[in-house]
Amino acid sequence: MKLENMFKKTRISSRTQGHGFGRTMRPEVPEGLLRKCNKCGAAIIAEDVKAGYYICPKCGGYFRVHAYRRIQMVIDEGTFEEWNEDLTGGNPVNYKGYPEKLEAVREKTKLHEAVVTGKGRINGIETVIAVCDGRFLMASMGWAVGEKITRAVERATEERLPVIIYACSGGARMQEGITSLMQMAKTSAALKRHSDAGLLYISVLTEPTTGGVTASFAMLGDVILAEPGALIGFAGPRVIEQTIRQKLPKGFQRAEFLVEHGFVDAIVRREDQRKTLTQILSLHGYEAEKAAAGNGETGREDYRQDPADSEESVKQAAAEEGPSAFPHHQSLTAWDRVQISRKIDRPSGSDYIRELFTDFIEFHGDRNYGDDQAVIGGLARFHGTPVTVIAQEKGTSTKENIKRNFGMPMPEGYRKALRLMKQAEKFKRPVICFVDTPGAFCGIEAEERGQGEAIAKNLMELAGLTVPVLSIVIGEGGSGGALALAAGDEVWMLENSVYSILSPEGFASILWKDSSRAHEAAEVMKLTAADLYQRKIIEQIISEPEGFCQDNLKEVTDRLEPQIRCFLQTYTQLSEEELLDRRYQRFRKF
Amino acid sequence: MIKKVLIANRGEIAVRIIRACREMGIETVAVYSEADREALHTQLADQAICIGPAPSSQSYLSMENIISATIVSGADAIHPGFGFLSENSRFAELCEQCNITFIGPPSGVIASLGNKQAAKNTMAAAGVPVIPGGSNPVYNAEDGAKEADETGYPVIIKAALGGGGKGMRVADTPEDFKESFQTAQKEAQMAFGDGTMYIEHFVRHPRHIEFQIMADSFGNVIHLGERDCSIQRNHQKMIEESPSIAISDELRKKMGDAAVRAAKAAGYVNAGTIEFLLEKDEKFYFMEMNTRIQVEHPVTEWVTGVDLVKEQIRIASGLPLSYRQEDIRLTGHAIECRINAENPAKGFMPSPGTITDMYFPGGKGIRIDSAVYSGYTVQPYYDSMIAKLIVWAKNRSEAIRKMQSALGEVIIEGIDTNVDYQYEILNHPDFLSGNTDVEFIERMENGR
Repeated sequence: MKLENMFKKTRISSRTQGHGFGRTMRPEVPEGLLRKCNKCGAAIIAEDVKAGYYICPKCGGYFRVHAYRRIQMVIDEGTFEEWNEDLTGGNPVNYKGYPEKLEAVREKTKLHEAVVTGKGRINGIETVIAVCDGRFLMASMGWAVGEKITRAVERATEERLPVIIYACSGGARMQEGITSLMQMAKTSAALKRHSDAGLLYISVLTEPTTGGVTASFAMLGDVILAEPGALIGFAGPRVIEQTIRQKLPKGFQRAEFLVEHGFVDAIVRREDQRKTLTQILSLHGYEAEKAAAGNGETGREDYRQDPADSEESVKQAAAEEGPSAFPHHQSLTAWDRVQISRKIDRPSGSDYIRELFTDFIEFHGDRNYGDDQAVIGGLARFHGTPVTVIAQEKGTSTKENIKRNFGMPMPEGYRKALRLMKQAEKFKRPVICFVDTPGAFCGIEAEERGQGEAIAKNLMELAGLTVPVLSIVIGEGGSGGALALAAGDEVWMLENSVYSILSPEGFASILWKDSSRAHEAAEVMKLTAADLYQRKIIEQIISEPEGFCQDNLKEVTDRLEPQIRCFLQTYTQLSEEELLDRRYQRFRKF
Repeated sequence: MIKKVLIANRGEIAVRIIRACREMGIETVAVYSEADREALHTQLADQAICIGPAPSSQSYLSMENIISATIVSGADAIHPGFGFLSENSRFAELCEQCNITFIGPPSGVIASLGNKQAAKNTMAAAGVPVIPGGSNPVYNAEDGAKEADETGYPVIIKAALGGGGKGMRVADTPEDFKESFQTAQKEAQMAFGDGTMYIEHFVRHPRHIEFQIMADSFGNVIHLGERDCSIQRNHQKMIEESPSIAISDELRKKMGDAAVRAAKAAGYVNAGTIEFLLEKDEKFYFMEMNTRIQVEHPVTEWVTGVDLVKEQIRIASGLPLSYRQEDIRLTGHAIECRINAENPAKGFMPSPGTITDMYFPGGKGIRIDSAVYSGYTVQPYYDSMIAKLIVWAKNRSEAIRKMQSALGEVIIEGIDTNVDYQYEILNHPDFLSGNTDVEFIERMENGR
């Protein structure tokens, strides 16, 4: 039964013209109560938007945020001290109409220029902050913007404070000609000095970050964060389309695209930014109390702060827990161990990260080509001490195996690892690597992007890295692909992990032209932990429970924990020279 | 007077409101989701506006869309019905900001009655009985026993962070108290890591009795008698009747006065309902106030002769109440059965789908409030109630017989309904004798 138009005779045809007769108060939406989302077009209640981080409650789209609101959202209330508020520039190339335009924008936005700089506290941690405001000529960078950022960075260097810059810009300001171009070099140079002083710079990219700003301060962060969906690129998408006469793919130049291509460490939702910034600052040694005392000293941690951590006690605990050099399960053959090391339910790198560390924050990308899923890296705390953690990750399900390329890193995986190691060196924190790979990925793309070069570079850089590096082989240690993360101060192996020049299958196939003789090869190759311990390739063996899997992982991490504490205590006491010399000799002997 | 009403609801209540408006010569605007294009309310209203996709969060709960539809259609008032935005103080406030008459109480009243503890305090201050105890945290058995003596046995001991029955015990006598308290506290400590407890009087086997209130903006408040809604399953009412077999004229006056006091204390305007728990010894306690028209309002309409929806619109238009308290007399007996598209045999799983054939009973003393028709598709997105069958007769036993007969005539093909289940209740000896309380359904199911 269709009802349409069946109720005609009951209908009241509209007698009213608009609203009720004689009513003085016509229903209407007061100015500013509702607004329209410029992303999904839906009507939304303005107050909800304000209270909800300027995110559309309907589509989740991000609205642009004015500089002072952004500061309000991130900085502790009442702690922001603005610097150079009324600094303005001139008209260097005498561009016609520019002063009038500036005047009009100033009138409209009540801002002097397109960036607000100053210092404040985030959860009590003091930091310098600069925030671009897109309402002011699309926050383009002319002299005043460049100058304010430069002065802020210089002062941060002087006061030994971290810098956070919220970027949002169309690029260099055309109206100021070549002067604008120079701002790119000027701001970058100031950041170089800040970085050389061992200080932290966090860049937060917001919609849109393009042109000369992307090609200068925005991309120079030790840590680069981005808001979801933000447009980030050098050339604008329209310019690219017009130039190459092609339609650009969906999601091109969006924050997610940048993560995938290795240029952004992490995407952070607005409601989480304060928390994430606090976490990153704190992991770099910036603490609320310290900052309050005016002591901006960062970096090297004292491993003896905790009385329970006295040298004696740690060593004793390590000795008691004791990794035995002699595995429990002596009856297993080498081939058995190869099989066990490859089991799909064997705990993977991320499991160890979860069990052994706190506050882990993953950083993505090699800042060059991509973000390799076979290598996970980031910052975490070990017993309260910040460390850099890098792990080869196979995944523990078929779906994840595919995503992680079965733990076979691409060159960008090694380059990501190296980037994080160099960062650890800058901030003087130890590096702990978990090795678990059948080998570096073997394929066309890997060769195109220089797999050999990437591994070689890691070996060379590791030889000179001035912080302690510990590597633990937790599964397969496949050849150069494993060595690239295992050329540090000590290498430990789990009892049933293996470490070799090649897979037994490959070995048998190359030397005997018969890959089915892999089990024989396994014996010949001397790839078990016990064999390698004897040959002084590794320093420790960590015993495993029978049927080692996620459920009894804790037995292993409980054994690892005192050993790692002991390692850190020993190696952080060494001078850089001693450290590097010992590492040199470690490989020199072979 | 209001000229054009937008009904921010769907289903039978939207139809009910459209009919009232039509009788009053008021234009109606229906709003509907994409799933409700064919719905009766959409077709019946003078005008209909689509307010979004099927999920109610994007349509019937979208304040922005409904406000926009009101402005666009030129309606000057919104009737929220029940459910959806009807008790959302933010929505009422938005209406006020936009000069739209919200047919219901002022936003501030909705907000303050929505806060349970604040509402309880307001009522206690106005001399309305509330469940004794429950406001002082207790940390040990000794203090607890004192508190229990003050509240009166039996008492229920509850964990401050409680939930799911954990850390909850009933003590019938002072002798039981210590052990019950310690067990409850231990459980709470284990489950929530906190041993803070509250002691409250335990209302055993209560009836759910609610009083219909009408208040105008001139401070006049009347009550329209009670409804007995004790037949409920998992706090979902199934059958409601008026008057209640458990209430004498004297008790009605006492409870009615309390209800009026409660409404006055809250500064209430428009139709509302005060819910009480009634103990066997005629002690009653305020539970909460519902700030909207109720599903079961037709039973009150029938025994009082008052059209509650029309009265709501009159009050919202700024007119005084059309009745004084002495005009209200309860005549005869009315019962309502809620008919839901659900399958009692499968744990009352909702049963959406197309109604292939349908027949509803009629005749003297029978009222059907429904929005379904033959060929209508019951949507999975919304509440499963598809019809209300209401009967009236001069006394309870005649009304029950009429309901039994009417239920027997209901035919709904194509989907599962709870009609047979309702029929089972109507024939249960305890229901027939009026020996019911809120645990009736549980006992009936256990007794099978």
